Amino acid sequence: MSERNVEVWTRANADYTDERAEQAWRQDEIDWGIWHVLERELQALPDVSGKDVVELGCGTAYFGAWLKKRGANRVVGVDPTPAQLETAGRLVESTGIELELVEAFGEDVPLPDASFDLAVSEYGASIWADPYKWIAEAARLLRPRGELVFLRNSTLVILCSPDDGSAAREELQRPEFGMHRFEWQGEVDDGVEYHLSHGAWIGLLRDNGFEILDLIEIQAPEGAETHLRYDFVTAEWARKWPSEEIWRARKRA
Amino acid sequence: MPISEQALRNREYWDRQSDEYQAIHGPQLNVDDLVWGAWSIREAEVGALGEVEGKDILELGCGAARWSIELARRGARPVGLDSSARQLEHARRLLAEAGMEFPLVRASAEEIPLPEESFDIVFSDHGALTWADPHVVVPEVARVLRAGGILAFNVSSPLLLMCSNKGADTRLHRSYFELDAAPEGDGAADYKLTDGGWIRLLRANGFSIEALTELRPSEGATTTYTDYVHYDWARSWPGEHLWKARKR
Repeated sequence: MSERNVEVWTRANADYTDERAEQAWRQDEIDWGIWHVLERELQALPDVSGKDVVELGCGTAYFGAWLKKRGANRVVGVDPTPAQLETAGRLVESTGIELELVEAFGEDVPLPDASFDLAVSEYGASIWADPYKWIAEAARLLRPRGELVFLRNSTLVILCSPDDGSAAREELQRPEFGMHRFEWQGEVDDGVEYHLSHGAWIGLLRDNGFEILDLIEIQAPEGAETHLRYDFVTAEWARKWPSEEIWRARKRA
Repeated sequence: MPISEQALRNREYWDRQSDEYQAIHGPQLNVDDLVWGAWSIREAEVGALGEVEGKDILELGCGAARWSIELARRGARPVGLDSSARQLEHARRLLAEAGMEFPLVRASAEEIPLPEESFDIVFSDHGALTWADPHVVVPEVARVLRAGGILAFNVSSPLLLMCSNKGADTRLHRSYFELDAAPEGDGAADYKLTDGGWIRLLRANGFSIEALTELRPSEGATTTYTDYVHYDWARSWPGEHLWKARKR
């Protein structure tokens, strides 16, 4: 994560995420990503009741709020963008859902070792922080047998995305070997993102003591429409190819 | 349970195809080394099998058994399994030339006629995990492996399978979500799984996922598999996925 991403998300919060946060917090169902695929269909999360949860790159922390409502003991939202944490703090006040909020980059989290049972990231540190640093932080924060669940763009959609940030093509736009850090030049998406190949993800998770549990590659549901803001991929493309994927891993005992 | 119709059609295909295959690709495959896939990537660089000396090793879809012959030279106890009788005739010829003896088994990997927990390593280089139904083969592998044993296999990457068009180009010609549909038609056909599909199948059969190595040709590498993938494509994108899993 970089200061540049804090600028991007400060603007995005003023334009978009702040005004949508309350509705998201009040939603009862957990869903994933831009296609809002339901957790009860994907079953990517373990039972969270009584668990201590950290959300890495929480933004306005709606995902953490959903987990708190499902009975999580403690949910800590970590994000480097003060504007988004202000929005989240306002919702803690107005909803009474008690989240703890910490301003920090996913690469360097000021919380103690082995203090969580679950680390989640949905379009958070999972794409905006350097995986070679934040995966190690997630491993440090988790207790033995703790789970890590994160959603990111698929590797394939990144391979098919032009540099100018326009929607993914049906043609490869960049090599896969060597992929890691991306600086998009789009009007909305002009931040720094990090994306790896599947082999590199498996290697990185294993190197940090994680067992790979699952890779859920998400298909846009029938009748899905292209997202009005997150238009880096069309619904038509995402019906044929995965635009998002969820990794599940468990820290070895 | 009888082996699948598709596996039987693939057996017929390999019986027909075997002589021509060995004539075209034999020169690349005769290397006196352990090498993976279309670009002959050295096992010494990848480390998928680990230490082989003294190990019981089963090769699934051994063809002319070049891998197993080299493993025997390195002190392993290999068994070569192939569904095609004609391929195994080529294997017998190479074993005789090498002055070696080890078991060659004609069977489909969907029904391995070997006892439970009898191998330390099972592997396949574009063999039975492609030409037989992986949903049947992986449980069979789990049965014949000892606890802690390794399964390593090389298959075409989902990206190559989507981009295939007499070789591969940069367009996505088919949907990712249709890749793992059962093969159709009355000819030979390969089985395909998505990356998530492999992870779930391996996990469901008691394997831990240890590594996915995305094979890349070394600079200037050549191949006899020119209608499979071109050098320029394979230098940019992984055409072959080498999975390594361990029985828990």
